[in-house]
Amino acid sequence: MFRYESLEDCPLDEDEDAFQGLGEEDEEIDQFNDDTFGSGAVDDDWQEAHERLAELEEKLPVAVNEQTGNGERDEMDLLGDHEENLAERLSKMVIENELEDPAIMRAVQTRPVLQPQPGSLNSSIWDGSEVLRRIRGPLLAQEMPTVSVLEYALPQRPPQGPEDDRDLSERALPRRSTSPIIGSPPVRAVPIGTPPKQMAVPSFTQQILCPKPVHVRPPMPPRYPAPYGERMSPNQLCSVPLQPGRMSPSQFARVPGFVGSPLAAMNPKLLQGRVGQMLPPAPGFRAFFSAPPSATPPPQQHPPGPGPHLQNLRSQAPVFRPDTTHLHPQHRRLLYQRQQQNRNQHRNLNGAGDRGSHRSSHQDHLRKDPYANLMLQREKDWVSKIQMMQLQSTDPYLDDFYYQNYFEKLEKLSAAEEIQGDGPKKERTKLITPQVAKLEHAYKPVQFEGSLGKLTVSSVNNPRKMIDAVVTSRSEDDETKEKQVRDKRRKTLVIIEKTYSLLLDVEDYERRYLLCLEEERPALMDERKHKICSMYDNLRGKLPGQERPSDDHFVQIMCIRKGKRMVARILPFLSTEQAADILMTTARNLPFLIKKDAQDEVLPCLLSPFSLLLYHLPSVTITSLLQQLMNLPQSAATPAPSNPHLTAVLQNKFGLSLLLILLSRGEDLQSSDPATESTQNNQWSDGGDVHGNTRTSTNSPSSPGQANLYTYKPSVPLFSLC
Amino acid sequence: MNYMPGTASLIEDIDKKHLVLLRDGRTLIGFLRSIDQFANLVLHQTVERIHVGKKYGDIPRGIFVVRGENVVLLGEIDLEKESDTPLQQVSIEEILEEQRVEQQTKLEAEDRKRYIHYSRDGCRGSRKPGGAP
Repeated sequence: MFRYESLEDCPLDEDEDAFQGLGEEDEEIDQFNDDTFGSGAVDDDWQEAHERLAELEEKLPVAVNEQTGNGERDEMDLLGDHEENLAERLSKMVIENELEDPAIMRAVQTRPVLQPQPGSLNSSIWDGSEVLRRIRGPLLAQEMPTVSVLEYALPQRPPQGPEDDRDLSERALPRRSTSPIIGSPPVRAVPIGTPPKQMAVPSFTQQILCPKPVHVRPPMPPRYPAPYGERMSPNQLCSVPLQPGRMSPSQFARVPGFVGSPLAAMNPKLLQGRVGQMLPPAPGFRAFFSAPPSATPPPQQHPPGPGPHLQNLRSQAPVFRPDTTHLHPQHRRLLYQRQQQNRNQHRNLNGAGDRGSHRSSHQDHLRKDPYANLMLQREKDWVSKIQMMQLQSTDPYLDDFYYQNYFEKLEKLSAAEEIQGDGPKKERTKLITPQVAKLEHAYKPVQFEGSLGKLTVSSVNNPRKMIDAVVTSRSEDDETKEKQVRDKRRKTLVIIEKTYSLLLDVEDYERRYLLCLEEERPALMDERKHKICSMYDNLRGKLPGQERPSDDHFVQIMCIRKGKRMVARILPFLSTEQAADILMTTARNLPFLIKKDAQDEVLPCLLSPFSLLLYHLPSVTITSLLQQLMNLPQSAATPAPSNPHLTAVLQNKFGLSLLLILLSRGEDLQSSDPATESTQNNQWSDGGDVHGNTRTSTNSPSSPGQANLYTYKPSVPLFSLC
Repeated sequence: MNYMPGTASLIEDIDKKHLVLLRDGRTLIGFLRSIDQFANLVLHQTVERIHVGKKYGDIPRGIFVVRGENVVLLGEIDLEKESDTPLQQVSIEEILEEQRVEQQTKLEAEDRKRYIHYSRDGCRGSRKPGGAP
């Protein structure tokens, strides 16, 4: 450890002008102490460390020559005339490179030995370019890439003699075993999360700004932070006392634009993991919502320096292809297209990018936002992949009914617009959900190895019976009247629900026709017919008698709002006779229904299917319907002065409308078919007669009813009888 | 680029400034940095905004990780329109004081109501008026 002592002796005074104050000296001494006696000195495997030291010592003389030689032809010397100081530094064995793991130096292939600035960043990320390696900011100083990855991934570099020694001496911990591909958590001199003791920040900023090299030790404690997956701890970041006007991004900006040479061999994971860490945060809680001000001039060169580099590098790095095999091919294509676009966008961000101009405000914000893209594209794709997985469905009409309907409607609208020739319809991007075959998973209960028999384990799929509930049916005698009524109502409700399910199925058949194969269609038709019949049976009551003895069942259904709506929907599917039957029953019981409908006022929904139906009915039916509606006695007996049935009908909007439609239909039939039987004629005129009579007897009909009444212009024959 | 048209997804909201309302009533404003499938959020440069009447105060909070189930709603903030508000910003101390006063008055009103309620005849509960809710 003889070099160690020489380091301590190494006067830091020479570079006082390069950095401010002698405070750093004290800090460094403390650092030395810590490394020697404190947490940094933990070193279980001193033998290994010793051996390594010995190795490096041998290599040292060789390295020294190389360095001196290379320094001269260092054309990428951005920071000025440090070649002159090369010799100086060499002789003093400055510790500026202890951040750089000798292994990394070997592993990373660069142009022959750069003299990195003291306190510089570990530039293993920036491997292809030596200049990049020189860009060191206070924060990046903390980062240490995984030694192993680079070691294996990249060819060996000529060792850096003097620095290696120093590095090793400073770095007390041995190299851990590593895996070639992924690497392992790096060696830590100090436990993760330890706030750094001191930061010789000003020195760093000075370094970069000032051409001279600085003999300063970079901040030590977290020397080997995790390369990826772990962002820098806020402590580390925040404790960097950035001075106003000395923000690192601006420093990066000073570096004349160069494009990082492709790091083909670079592990893209490393890159991506590093992306977020390249930029320092604003210290404390300055201007929260303004973009971090780059106080130093030329921020306009391009977005924070590392940005474009990062993105360039990233774009050149091999693309991560997440597992998208289960996605619909079109969606997969879209995903990759998007990725390509994003990459193009990033490329355009550098310098003049016209493509990004239309999104300028957002892009501007992103450009100035050093924390942008913390969430990698890969991760975004992962989340959207999960979302897409949740949308997988074998039957989207079943699982996602409203979504499908809504988008169909939109499409129809846009198609209609297009037909009108409004111009090109606006692009409506559609979501393509993956179509996946449903897999039936047979549930197999958990089986333990080596157990005799099966153990019953209660789980979500296999719940254990906890309560012995027995269904007891009540006897009829015990029930009170109210209970009976309640039960009856419940039964009606159940019937309505069952019929409704049938109705939904029947309505769905049309769609299924289109989807299914030719052979299956007849079977579907039969199914449909069958269902329609059972619907009708449900409505009318299942009594198989020739004549439906009671309307009671139907009336009960019609008393419930849902029942009425359902009947309105069922009517189009029924045959004419069946539908006429329904209509007849309704007309017969209309006053009662009207009374029951007082609260719901849903009867008018039946009007349109009824009116449609009426156009298909023959005149006989119409006439009888009219009779039913008005409750006329079959024989033309003297019409009662007050006909409560008719009164009720007329006083209700629905009833009135129905009557009117009936009459108008009857009129049409009469006029269109002059050769009608006289009985029919008589009946019709009777109808007209009663009609005229009741007009006077109605008291305060509802106003819409009134309006209907007076807009109706009965034909001359009818009025002639009044 | 519309990531997933027709769906609700937070992916396009990333790196934008958002206002997040939590189930416990807090209002957070921050840059949405990261999400996951549960809509857990990572908010950056977060500020907790307390509103009392026409005044509001901001408490800087740093980085927030919010569990998805605790979010009531969130929405993007238009940076240009952000300052265009009739509300008046005050200091943290002041807004906290205002909030305390508001809570106080609310409690008192509640106590009064409860007292009246329980002091009526025939309405006895096990609760003491003025006690904890």
